[in-house]
Amino acid sequence: MNYENLYSSLSLIQPEITISVFLLLIVVADLIFDKNKALIPFLALAGLIIASVQVILQVTNTGYAFPFSDVYLSRKGMVTVDAFGAFFKLIIIISSFILVYFSYVSDEIKKSEKNLGEYYALIFGMILGMFFLSSASDLILIYVALELLSLSSYVLAGFSKLRTRNSEASLKYLIYGATSSGLMLFGISIFYGLSGTTNLYEINTFLASHQINHLTLSFASILIFAGIGYKISSVPFHFWTPDVYEGAPISITAYLSVASKAAGFALLVRFIKSAFVTSDDSLGYWEILSVFDWHSLLILVSILTMTLGNLTALWQNNIKRMLAYSSIAHAGYMLLGVAVLSNQGLVAVLIYFFFYLFMNLGAFFIVMLIANKTGSEEIDDYNGLGYTSPFLGVALTLFMVALIGLPPTAGFIGKLYLFIALVDAQMITVAIIALLNTVIALYYYIRVLKHMFLTKSTVETQTVSVIRPNIIFIIFMLAPVLIFGVYFGPVVDFAKRCVQILGL
Amino acid sequence: MLTEFGKIFIFILLAVVFVPLIVYVAKFIRPARPTKEKLKIYECGENPEGSPWIKFNIRFYVIALIFLIFDVEVVLLFPWALTYQDFGFYGFMVGIIFLLILGLGMAYEWRKGDLEWERPKPIPPILDDEPPAENEELKEESLTI
Repeated sequence: MNYENLYSSLSLIQPEITISVFLLLIVVADLIFDKNKALIPFLALAGLIIASVQVILQVTNTGYAFPFSDVYLSRKGMVTVDAFGAFFKLIIIISSFILVYFSYVSDEIKKSEKNLGEYYALIFGMILGMFFLSSASDLILIYVALELLSLSSYVLAGFSKLRTRNSEASLKYLIYGATSSGLMLFGISIFYGLSGTTNLYEINTFLASHQINHLTLSFASILIFAGIGYKISSVPFHFWTPDVYEGAPISITAYLSVASKAAGFALLVRFIKSAFVTSDDSLGYWEILSVFDWHSLLILVSILTMTLGNLTALWQNNIKRMLAYSSIAHAGYMLLGVAVLSNQGLVAVLIYFFFYLFMNLGAFFIVMLIANKTGSEEIDDYNGLGYTSPFLGVALTLFMVALIGLPPTAGFIGKLYLFIALVDAQMITVAIIALLNTVIALYYYIRVLKHMFLTKSTVETQTVSVIRPNIIFIIFMLAPVLIFGVYFGPVVDFAKRCVQILGL
Repeated sequence: MLTEFGKIFIFILLAVVFVPLIVYVAKFIRPARPTKEKLKIYECGENPEGSPWIKFNIRFYVIALIFLIFDVEVVLLFPWALTYQDFGFYGFMVGIIFLLILGLGMAYEWRKGDLEWERPKPIPPILDDEPPAENEELKEESLTI
């Protein structure tokens, strides 16, 4: 047997190796410097910086890692390193950088400083899982990566232990997660039973050349979609989202709403494209195998997701819960981009995700600053806040406007590309439903602004003073939201570059 | 000449003889100071009779988890031990790295004091949102059980 390709495979998964090494280093540092935890965040930052350089190199340095050249005819491997995966890894890395600062500022994390080593080690476990999720092309590896991500996030959701809601969030997350990963494993086993392989490319060639039972395959596909849908909190699998988002520490909530969703989307797109799509046509639409109707399933799920997310968000009085439902709604919009099943739709998803990262994390950061001071996340307690702390008020306004998708913010550009993709694909009805949903979303975002600027507070409003590093950080988060709203060319070009998925 | 099954038969025979022999030999060597707890069927300090709805000491689970990790390790090392020569130095290093990571996990447990049965009494976390006062009675009751 030839093991030479194992050596060369290692050079393709450098970011993953870096993250694993720094995970171990953080544990060692935690053990050696038991009393002094100040070093650990900087160690985490160092790891992220090295990994981000390696991820950027992956945009051009593509290939298949760990191929089974002897077992299968093709040389396509378990891990596919391509620009598409690198884009999502970049999103994960950027949100991890932001998360480190989040945790550094957060009061909730400061109260459990004794366990800071575990905190960062678990975050690196999550990052490792997400990295493998966004580039795995083998069902077994996908499952292992998904579990690594899930198990780390279950613990993190209940990390601070200071409130009973924390443990509740963790337990609910665990129970829903166990169920959906069980369903996914069942789907994977059916796929293996049908095709005799777990490699996505092998499944693709098998499905294209053999006659198989459509009903069984549809059943298995829906089961696998249940596992992915749970990660991206699409509708029939969204029940954990509001409870976990409300109960978990805000830094973890923000991270779950962006990074683990990004990994879920990367997995969904790669799974559909690698296992079911035979080729692209001249306009960039995917020639999908007729064995399972992904188009209808995705449209149905995305319409349900955004409508339910938006309608339920209307009734929320807790801002974290409201942002949870809004993140469900955003997952619905992005699923529509996937449902177009074309490169144009995929570009829209990538652009949308890149902007969503900044506006969502920014909104969560300001909610955290206010909660640090007032200890409350109820929207009613925001009364008059726009006047006592004008900087936070204006910044939160801009993030909310971006989340609605109004110009001149980046949120508008994200939605614009999405709707153009929908209209170009002749999905006019769906586009109109999505537009109406945007109008509904206007109400609950603006309601927060109404409380901040127009409602007189019955009790004295506390002044939330912001220290200078936090002001700089907020400006750093606002800058992309505003600049990319008018000058979005580079992001679009980069997304178009990254849309190529290896393996067709 | 022995067949393959013959060898297995010898193994079974050895096993059947070996266990009673060891138990019998041990009876002569060990000191015998029986106490009431030691003579119970399940000699881990747990009462074998009564309601199963009791709280087990959480340390049992910690020990079980540690055991599980090292049990799985052995299962993973068997195939590695059979084939690492084909991989050469590279394959050997893979196994060593795997063992080092597991060793780090062991060091972590040791350092955090999870291997000591008698731990200093943990300070329960102070909850920010204590349950309201009307639940006080309920809490008392659950404590007396």
